[in-house]
Amino acid sequence: MKQLFQQLFYALIVRPWLRLFIGVRFENREAFDRVEQFIVVANHNSHFDTVSIMAALPGYKLRKTHAVAAADYFGQGTVSGTAMNLFFNSILIKRNREAGEPSAIDVLDEHLKKGDSLILFPEGSRGQPGVISDFKKGIAILLQRNPQIPFIPVYLDGFGRVLPKDKWLIIPLVCKVRFGDPMRAETQDIDSLLEVVKEAILRLKHKDERDRNSF
Amino acid sequence: MNNFAISPPLAWVWGAIFAFLTVSSLTFYLVSRKRPGKLLDELQLRTRSWWYMALGIAVVTLGPPVLGTVLVAYVSYVALREMFSISGFREADRSALFVAYFTIPVQYYFAFWHDIEPFYYFIPLVMSITIPFVLVLSGNTEKIGRSMSLIITVLLLTVYMLSHIVLLFNLEIPGYTIGAGGLIIYLVALTGFNDVFQFFWGKLLGKEKILPLVSPNKTWAGFLGGILSTAGLGYGLRFLTPLSGGAALITGLSLGIMGFVGDAVLSAVKRDLRLKDTDDLIPGHGGAMDRLDSIVITAPVFYHLLTFFIKP
Repeated sequence: MKQLFQQLFYALIVRPWLRLFIGVRFENREAFDRVEQFIVVANHNSHFDTVSIMAALPGYKLRKTHAVAAADYFGQGTVSGTAMNLFFNSILIKRNREAGEPSAIDVLDEHLKKGDSLILFPEGSRGQPGVISDFKKGIAILLQRNPQIPFIPVYLDGFGRVLPKDKWLIIPLVCKVRFGDPMRAETQDIDSLLEVVKEAILRLKHKDERDRNSF
Repeated sequence: MNNFAISPPLAWVWGAIFAFLTVSSLTFYLVSRKRPGKLLDELQLRTRSWWYMALGIAVVTLGPPVLGTVLVAYVSYVALREMFSISGFREADRSALFVAYFTIPVQYYFAFWHDIEPFYYFIPLVMSITIPFVLVLSGNTEKIGRSMSLIITVLLLTVYMLSHIVLLFNLEIPGYTIGAGGLIIYLVALTGFNDVFQFFWGKLLGKEKILPLVSPNKTWAGFLGGILSTAGLGYGLRFLTPLSGGAALITGLSLGIMGFVGDAVLSAVKRDLRLKDTDDLIPGHGGAMDRLDSIVITAPVFYHLLTFFIKP
């Protein structure tokens, strides 16, 4: 039921709305056809980021794909939490965990072991448009523990203009979701894993010299 | 008479256009199978985009006016969004840009109902007062003058001028039976072929540059050959319009010159922004404004020439 709702919702409402009215264009969506399970790794500037990546997924992959979000920000109140679950299959993780609770990494790792896919923003929070800030180590630990799962790098170009941090007005402007090909990191070292992931996203960024981020 | 019946001249023109596109697509496809190459890929890409554009224009010229109006309004929207995306606006301009998008439904409402007075004053007056004040409310005055003038200019180009096409739907011309479809295809054909003629004559005979600092590819030979050829085409296609031979020549010549003007203006803007194309929306062609740069100027000029010539 939820799967059907999500497929229809994204195919009939979200994707056409993003394309026709906001001005979103997807590049290399075929990246998802070749992999069963994946971790999407993207830069993060806007509340539009997650919804745009979900809209690019093939419908049948939606149900098993989870967006990872901060519990203290999105989990407040039942409405927000329910909506996040309904639209993004969100896994809400606690940034400040109490003693005895499983760590965020363990929760995500468990989902990967079940065969689910994840959407991660390793910058942690939405930074300055066009600037990729330092990555948190979580993505590297997950890739280290699950070397068989490929990651799909994504560069989100221009969403920081459409809906920047701390703003509520949505301005339609041309922006792109640029998917890279699925990759497996050849290394087991945490720092080099982080480097590989970041490099992959930066390569996508430099594919187009046009700057869709600065005002 | 049935409003949506296609008149014979229009049917002939559309038959010719689709036959031409079919032959082009087939030729490129067959040649590319024998001798694949980069140039052919590019040509195939361009032709495929032309198919979509031709289908859009066919809907506007052959379909019911309300559908044509919605489609032209959407083209305005895409062009406006594209110009807003590349013009380098400030973060403080966001609310003014948001307001600016709402001029499209209003302007096209006036155009569709032929409410001619508000059609003429809505953007030049109402928006010229509203947009600067919305910008003032943002509180950031640094470079505010640039935004004040630029948002209005972009609105005039992409919304106000283009919306003149919709006025053609409601033009009452005694003794003229082909209808708005004939007028619109005439405007589009002259504007489109003018680009081709200017390019062709420039390549063939071009020496002396006409705008060396703005657009090094444009030459006097291209310009003169182009506008004369367009005048000839305007004369040849006048069976689509209520125009007499002399009026059609003058119209063709004017549209040729105005097409050049639009092209030159957008070229200068792109040079300033250090862009080759305004976007990569249309494969093989660039952005929407790369295709619309001439017609935004020729559309109002054509409308006014037409109403002048057919005045009883």
